[in-house]
Amino acid sequence: MNIETESFTFDDVKAEAKEYQRWVAETLDTLTRPAFERFMHFYLDHASVLDFGEERLSSGHIFGGTEPSQNEWIDRIEAGRVRFTGRKSGIAKLKSKVGQLSLEERPLFGEDVRKLGKLLDYSLEFLINFARNEVVENETERNRLDVTLPGRRPRTGHLHPITILRQKIEDIFVSMGYAIEDDREIETDYYNFDALNIPENHPARESQDTFYTTEGFALRSQTSTVQIRAMERRGVPIRIIAPGKVFRRDTPDMTHVPMFHQIEGLCVDKGITMAHLKGTVTEWLKRLFGDDTVTRFRPSYFPFTEPSAEFDFSCFKCHGTGTVGSWQKAGGGQDDPQTAAGTQQTERCRPCKGSGWIELGGSGMVHPNVLKGVGIDPQAYSGFAFGFGLERMAALMFNIDDIRHMFENDVRFLEQFR
Amino acid sequence: MNISYNWLKDLINIELSADETAAALTRVGLAVEGIHAFGDDKVFDIDLTSNRPDCLSHLGVARELRVITGNAFPAKPRSREEDAAEAVPFPSLLAPDVVKIEDPDLCYRFTARIIRGVKIGPSPEWLVKRLESVGERSINNVADITNYVMLELGQPMHAFDLDKLAEKRIVVRRAKPGEGITTLDEVERKLDESMLTICDAEKPVAVGGVMGGLESSITESTVNVLLEVAYFDRSSIRHTSRKLGLATEASYRFERGVDIENLSRASDRAAELIVELAGGRLDDFVDVYPNRLTAPVVVSNDISRAVRRLTGLDVPVNECLRILTGLGITSEKQDDSSLRFTSPTWRHDIAIEEDLVEEVARHAGYENIANELPPAFEAGEYQASEARKKLLRQKLADIGFDEAISYSFIDTKFDGQYEPVPGIVDEKLDDKFVTLRDSVIEAAVRMRPTLLPGLLDSIRFNLNHQRRDLKLFEIGKIFANSAGENSMPAEREVFGLAITGGELLQKHLEPVRALDFYDAKGAVEAALEAVGFPSAEFRVSEIDHLRLGQSAGVYIDGGLVGSVGRLNEAISASYKFRAPVFVAEIDLEAVLARNTAGVFYHPLPKYPSVVRDVSFIVGRDTTFDTVRDAVVDQGSDICRNIGFVDVFEGKGVADGKRSLTVRFEYRSDERTLVEDEVADAHGRILETLGNTLGIVPRG
Repeated sequence: MNIETESFTFDDVKAEAKEYQRWVAETLDTLTRPAFERFMHFYLDHASVLDFGEERLSSGHIFGGTEPSQNEWIDRIEAGRVRFTGRKSGIAKLKSKVGQLSLEERPLFGEDVRKLGKLLDYSLEFLINFARNEVVENETERNRLDVTLPGRRPRTGHLHPITILRQKIEDIFVSMGYAIEDDREIETDYYNFDALNIPENHPARESQDTFYTTEGFALRSQTSTVQIRAMERRGVPIRIIAPGKVFRRDTPDMTHVPMFHQIEGLCVDKGITMAHLKGTVTEWLKRLFGDDTVTRFRPSYFPFTEPSAEFDFSCFKCHGTGTVGSWQKAGGGQDDPQTAAGTQQTERCRPCKGSGWIELGGSGMVHPNVLKGVGIDPQAYSGFAFGFGLERMAALMFNIDDIRHMFENDVRFLEQFR
Repeated sequence: MNISYNWLKDLINIELSADETAAALTRVGLAVEGIHAFGDDKVFDIDLTSNRPDCLSHLGVARELRVITGNAFPAKPRSREEDAAEAVPFPSLLAPDVVKIEDPDLCYRFTARIIRGVKIGPSPEWLVKRLESVGERSINNVADITNYVMLELGQPMHAFDLDKLAEKRIVVRRAKPGEGITTLDEVERKLDESMLTICDAEKPVAVGGVMGGLESSITESTVNVLLEVAYFDRSSIRHTSRKLGLATEASYRFERGVDIENLSRASDRAAELIVELAGGRLDDFVDVYPNRLTAPVVVSNDISRAVRRLTGLDVPVNECLRILTGLGITSEKQDDSSLRFTSPTWRHDIAIEEDLVEEVARHAGYENIANELPPAFEAGEYQASEARKKLLRQKLADIGFDEAISYSFIDTKFDGQYEPVPGIVDEKLDDKFVTLRDSVIEAAVRMRPTLLPGLLDSIRFNLNHQRRDLKLFEIGKIFANSAGENSMPAEREVFGLAITGGELLQKHLEPVRALDFYDAKGAVEAALEAVGFPSAEFRVSEIDHLRLGQSAGVYIDGGLVGSVGRLNEAISASYKFRAPVFVAEIDLEAVLARNTAGVFYHPLPKYPSVVRDVSFIVGRDTTFDTVRDAVVDQGSDICRNIGFVDVFEGKGVADGKRSLTVRFEYRSDERTLVEDEVADAHGRILETLGNTLGIVPRG
């Protein structure tokens, strides 16, 4: 359907159509350019309904200075509806004229009027729809949100890195059949030293290294005390992991703190050998750091184990190579190695200081005197034990340069760990 | 310990390069921490474990290399047969005239060698270089020689100017009260009866095994020398060295143990060098050996089997014996085909079969021990409380708390400021708190009876770093003395929290509102709920460290487990806190020891309920709990619930009063209630509240 006046036969219908056409053009002229563009979109989307004559609409159009408000538009179109289809409208007059015509003219004229009437209805409905759509769109626009703003929920707190690491390691050992144990932090010399075969004249026994209470109790200097108490309580066979606080008289500095956390493992059974020690230590380190982790055991000395060994593991960062690659962009600065011009450079790995190995802890076969002390026959049973410090491990894993941060509880520090 | 590669090569033939030697030594437990060049020499920095004082010398390290390389020691390291010192046997009868040991329990053996007519002067270049290669400074020929022999053979020794010794004789005895000595480092030192001294006829001339005296020392004018080579009790040396605060190369070796059978060899070696480099002639040699050590003996039925049993390594008996023999551990077959091993006198760490196993294992190589997992055993176990503590930690983290860990020792100034959780501090004791003899942190000698000072220190630390909105919690032990002779201090696991500032949303930089008492209480409720106690009770309480009127005791099933509230003004002021701080501390151990109530399902209501919200004007002393309890006591069978809606003070409410809005829920399990029933019951409840509490609905 076209609103072109040529499609009508009778002059007064044509005149009415022309009048309407002019009103539509005026109405559309009040639109601003963006509103008019929206109208065009709407129009093209609904082109099957009505043809306003696309070429005419898009050429020679005058844009109104200000965008009429939604209500103004609806009012204007409602007024148009009254004007063109109301009781006093031209079409009403034409309709009433139909009956006055001769029988020959009547059907033809009637058809013209009906056609124009239908056209006006469609056209006005279309304009109303557009106006309403504008209202909705505008509402939507006004309600447009910045979806990138943070969501609303309480700030999430953070567990201490020592807790995070301890829980991870506990999970590994529990899955390997170990029981987690802890016990007193203030101990007697017996549990802290004697039961661990630490001789009277051993340097560790001096108050230079160990905190003593005025009553003569020691703050445990290793969680091996837990091993003794657990063996007394549980007997053998036994497999335990003892995580806990220990205390040593070190003045705080970047690498020392007077209180730290240790994890010790103990496994006593018939037929336990150093091969089991190596296998166990290697296994849990693999579970923590990945399957390509390898371990190294070096002879050492601890009073409570014989033979004794220190253990190292291949650096989790450089995988034992001692160097880490870094991308140096040609002009300096970092960039994507895929696209930027530059060179691959290697630098000394930090956690292992370039050695490829991280020294972690001490271990060995439980000294027969330790077993005898808790009533276990060292001829029938043997066992291994190992231990390491959690702060040191956390410092290496998380690249923490100053171990004192562990006990300052600086939120800026704590919130970096998950 | 610095060890020279070239020096080692003087003692034993080494086919390995310096780097290979270092790696081989590290492999057997002599950890080479660094290698530095010194001229054409390479010097190893070896980190020795405290059980291996025998390796504090080139000879000791060479013994390890004897096993590593399989090479034997040459018959004589340096051939100077013409000058070799012949031991001059001294008539033992006359020995006490020269050397007298009064305390043989502290000095087991003492040798004195007289060398006459020496000329003190600079050392030859080779000697100076040798000493410098391992970081020692040249002094003069005689002093350098004693140093050199110590580094070569591990035996410390001391040269006296014989002519400065009163009556030219030595008495080894404990110092007498009031005696003192000026040691070589020119420090005047007071001695006491616990210290062993080397004296002449009159006075101490050396602190035995620690440092010589200045007066009797070698000078350029010295002509006659008395060379002391002795063996002292290890713990006595340790004691004296600690007490004087004087640790020397000599004391370091003596307290760890030297080779008592090496004394005359070391004396010979030094004497021989003195004659060679400083001239002079050998005179008397006195050897007083009152206290013989018996070399430890270990009997092993099957050393190879023992090695396999402990390490899993398969080392044939012959290889075991080769290693042990190389280390100086001799063996002898017994009648029952077992072997009797004798430790050499330079080793102080061989006492049991396991010690032999370690010697074999470290030379057989720890790298050859397999990686095996022990056979399956049984399921692992967490600690009984761990699951619930994990929930508690997670819950607090979820509502914005960061986990703190503070030192267990705190300043004594906090004493009495805080009221610890109930049942840990024994108020009857004079000495309630556990105290350390001393600390490494200023004044922090008190084992904390409360977590709060640590948390508040952390709050302040954060405030100082521009973090104002804080929620911290900690789980840890607190300590207090307990009554009874020799009873160990009480330890109790508790959890504490401290909050200040405003409520933060995740990734929002400004808080949405200020935190108050109810945030601290809410956190305690959440924590207790997480461990199975959703209905803890909070009662108005007076708590030392909390502000009156904003403090509550926390009760579970009627038992007091801790407190929550606003930190009092005095403590706040001492920290210079400007915003209010709210704290709580709960006896976690007591909480976790309680049984949690099981869930008991109530059938869903069949009939609708009717609710009435009523605002009462109440005085500040009328709490929500008192209102609720009064309603419960009234005993209406259709009033099924009473809950909190709102509390309000201010406009429209008289001063000193609050408007408390409470919701009453009426319901029956038998029928739908009619309006009249509800009105009747509700009316009676309001009447009761009016009568018992004197509160009336707001007009």
